[in-house]
Amino acid sequence: MALGTAFGSLLLSVFPFFASAGSAPTDPAAQFQQDPVQKVAAGVLLVLAVIGIVIVIYSLIRYRGSAVGPASWVVLITGAVAFPLLITGVGTILVFQRAERVEFCASCHLTMQPFVDDLKNPKSNSLAALHYRNRYIADDQCYACHTSYGLFGTVEAKKEGLNDVYKYYTRTFHLPIKLKHPYPNNDCLKCHGGSAKWIASHQDYKDALFSGEATCMQCHADSNPAHNIAQNVVPAPKR
Amino acid sequence: MIPAITARVPNKPFKLDSATTRTLLIAAQLLALVIFVLALDFLRLTTGGTLFLFSTIAPVLALLAVAAVGGVATYRFLRRHSLFEVEDVEPGQVIFREGEEGDCAYFIHDGEFAVIREENGTESVIARLSAGQYFGEMALISNAVRNATVRAVTPARVAVLGKQNFLTMLSLMPHTQQDVMKTVNERAMRKAKK
Repeated sequence: MALGTAFGSLLLSVFPFFASAGSAPTDPAAQFQQDPVQKVAAGVLLVLAVIGIVIVIYSLIRYRGSAVGPASWVVLITGAVAFPLLITGVGTILVFQRAERVEFCASCHLTMQPFVDDLKNPKSNSLAALHYRNRYIADDQCYACHTSYGLFGTVEAKKEGLNDVYKYYTRTFHLPIKLKHPYPNNDCLKCHGGSAKWIASHQDYKDALFSGEATCMQCHADSNPAHNIAQNVVPAPKR
Repeated sequence: MIPAITARVPNKPFKLDSATTRTLLIAAQLLALVIFVLALDFLRLTTGGTLFLFSTIAPVLALLAVAAVGGVATYRFLRRHSLFEVEDVEPGQVIFREGEEGDCAYFIHDGEFAVIREENGTESVIARLSAGQYFGEMALISNAVRNATVRAVTPARVAVLGKQNFLTMLSLMPHTQQDVMKTVNERAMRKAKK
């Protein structure tokens, strides 16, 4: 495995686009935010895919679909059973990791690009831009604010995400994009709720916010909207 | 006197011929190639489309590939371990072809079979076998591929003995082993003469 990972790192250095896919090359902080799990998984996946292709092509040329003798069975099972299962297993780790990136959200650009543009707009006064500009959230900013904690939050996000991907590629989404449910206080309070600075400035409302009687957006929607996309033109979907 | 036992229901077990086997194994490998390409595409550029294809289509393709290879392997395993399974054969039906892997021997109960060799695209019948004789033993003993094609000439019935059980039978029964080896030698000499 160590040899495979080393070989993977070598391949990633030769073909850097496999490792950097989805990350923002213009962001100078990106180089300090290397996720080791993602790096190792990408390396292993790349190695498995390349070796798998070599094995299958060798098997097709050498044995042409016949399985006579143990050697042909070993090659066949390695290429057509073991490697595909390994790749889908390792790939699942990477799928969960990469689906959290801002650039992944932005890849549905017909619908999401205005939100990401606002997020990265240094002049925007939206909450999203404020959090991004000041790196209140180090990375995966969309995911951090739009996913509740815990296993079910993650699973729910993936389920809804797949639904969104389906709607996007079948062009069955409706503009303007809206949240399915009101934005939960929990997704603000999971970070701010324990902050001394926040508690001091929200002394009068914190109980109402914790109990859910009041929502964060009741106050913040006007001064600092979650996303400031009024000036962005959302292009009509192509049919 | 021992009464004759005859099966009344025709035995036509599921048979995976070599062409279907080859198609299944090639299909499994092509599915694996698609999975590898989807993985590389996902690695190269993670978008909703590549992620959706890799995370949902690739596992389905992997399961199909596993099912194809697993199905062929299980079939081969069962054939190798078959114990005198009786099969009815129609005239013209090919039992096995030259160059295929040998996984069982056939003992003729009824009917007639032609042993055929193919050279330069022309077939020549090198032997005819009938009730009481057997065929397919050479590939099992020599651990080589089939050296001839066998085709039924008349409606026939054979008992199929898997490689594993055939070799066990020879090791346990020295007289049968001698008889089989004698037949193998005779056939090899006949083949050499032709």
